[in-house]
Amino acid sequence: MNAGLFLGLSPLLVVSLGGLLLMVAEAFSKRRVDETSDDRDAGPSSELSLGTAVTLLAGAVFAAAIWFVGPENLEGASLVAPWVIVDRFTLFFSFVLCLGGALAALLAGGYLPEHRLDRGEFYPLIIFSTVGAMILAAAGDLLSLFLGLETMSLGVYAMVGFRRASLRSTEAAVKYFLLGSFAAALLLYGGALLYGATGHTDLAGIREAIANAQPGKGPNFALVITAAVLIIVGLAFKVSAVPFHMWTPDAYEGAPTPTTTYMAVAVKCAAFATMLRVLVGAFGEGGLESWAAGWPPVVALLAVLTMTVANLVAGQQESVKRMLAYSSIAHAGYVLVGVVATMRAGGDAQGSVMFYLLTYTVSTVGAFGALILMGSRGAEAVSYEDLAGVGKRHPAAGFAFSLFLLSLAGVPPTAGFFGKLYIVKASIGAGLYPLAIILLLNSVISAYYYLRVMVYMYMREPAPGAPIAKPMRSGYVATALVVAGVLVLVLGLWPTTSLQIAVEAALATR
Amino acid sequence: MTVPLEYFVIVAAALFMTGAVGFLIRRNLLVLLMSIELMLNAVNLTLVAFNRQHVGGHAGQIFTFFIIAIAAAEAAVGLAIVLAFFRLRSTVRSDDADLLRN
Repeated sequence: MNAGLFLGLSPLLVVSLGGLLLMVAEAFSKRRVDETSDDRDAGPSSELSLGTAVTLLAGAVFAAAIWFVGPENLEGASLVAPWVIVDRFTLFFSFVLCLGGALAALLAGGYLPEHRLDRGEFYPLIIFSTVGAMILAAAGDLLSLFLGLETMSLGVYAMVGFRRASLRSTEAAVKYFLLGSFAAALLLYGGALLYGATGHTDLAGIREAIANAQPGKGPNFALVITAAVLIIVGLAFKVSAVPFHMWTPDAYEGAPTPTTTYMAVAVKCAAFATMLRVLVGAFGEGGLESWAAGWPPVVALLAVLTMTVANLVAGQQESVKRMLAYSSIAHAGYVLVGVVATMRAGGDAQGSVMFYLLTYTVSTVGAFGALILMGSRGAEAVSYEDLAGVGKRHPAAGFAFSLFLLSLAGVPPTAGFFGKLYIVKASIGAGLYPLAIILLLNSVISAYYYLRVMVYMYMREPAPGAPIAKPMRSGYVATALVVAGVLVLVLGLWPTTSLQIAVEAALATR
Repeated sequence: MTVPLEYFVIVAAALFMTGAVGFLIRRNLLVLLMSIELMLNAVNLTLVAFNRQHVGGHAGQIFTFFIIAIAAAEAAVGLAIVLAFFRLRSTVRSDDADLLRN
């Protein structure tokens, strides 16, 4: 038995094992939903939500523990490389993904019973999707990358269509499934061409083959370029960059809100993790001089389009949930700016990307969580009108929502402010002034639609005769919001430590 | 006489294009699922063909087995979702999935 190997893989193993146990527990549990009952604590959520959160947090704790031991001190952990790479980069993302998953599970614990969706399958789906996401972040080989991607996506497809009786939810699942698997096929074909050109499926081998390319005998120029284009398009679908974002608002709006939360945080973070590994790892050799490293201008263009289009369209939405979907597209644009900067400025810039993903995770979970909290059975809060005056009637819920919106808008002293600040600093450090300016302009535009929610919450009254939003009572949702809120403030008031951790994690991939 | 590698790669590329174009222009959800399967099979063919060039390892062929398995899982989930859609809407045309829009 190899203790180092088991310890190195322990975040994955703990989460997988916990998922299996919960699945068995759910199958033998006597708790079944009685559709006619009003008792929200009778269904499986009351046990499984907490169990799922604990399992995922245990994964996060194990990742943190290995961070302190130092993954390089674990002998045998490299036995599974390059399929699963145990380094600080992996551990950082395992922590973020488990945290996002756990908070989404807590939100589900309140949301599912409230809206008569209380079926136990949701929780194993969250756990196994997170396992896939962790594998995706750890993958140093195209094979495990693809396996992780599909493990994650298949679970999320089912979670999107979880409300089977609702046409909106099912339609969202249809759209997400079709475009998601189309993107996966493009990515895969790119990988197959890359294998043909270089003879390697591991990213390090591909990097080496491209770096040693010589005209006439090295890897086939045309094949590598085609592969790079296909892979970038596939990844752009997954992180929902414009113009590959068409599915995002529909899927986010139609899905049950805890699923939306999970997609916005965990799926997006995992996709960015693999984007960093592939673009910077496999196509990053030789800086901008190398002919295969021509991706930064392409990604820069995607970033500009993503930020601008998403922010302009977000301001026109009438549904807050759809606005938050566009907001998550816009945030993907900001992160893409950091990805471009990474190519020139190196580890510090990549650290700022990873720090941003952490701040984005806690702020987004909070914003969607607050939206969940505002609704109750039969009256889910969706539009701006639903939120009219709710801040005055329910100050605590209104305060929580405002805090997370300010963080998403990037107002100090919240986490979101420093996330944006570091990305701007990184892009200026890399000499990408136009990108930095466009990012700042966009974040000014974005303030409009975030503040609009607060205007409705505090300065409007519901129209006469309109249904009045009544926040739900749920300990799980409240817990998730408190945790996310504390993290938003802690990351906002003391950002340097976590930034250093992110930079250290980023340096592990170089 | 052996068939040159290029032939396999070109056939696979043609298959992939057929699948991709079919995905973009057809409107029947089941045909879209089939198009995706076609694209995945083109990937398989590419991998196996290139494996002949890169002797000394079987990465390409092993990759293919994983893709076959995943494609089956994906088809199962996909058909379930299409079935759920059909039950509610009594159609499998993608144009009829028009409830969610800006």
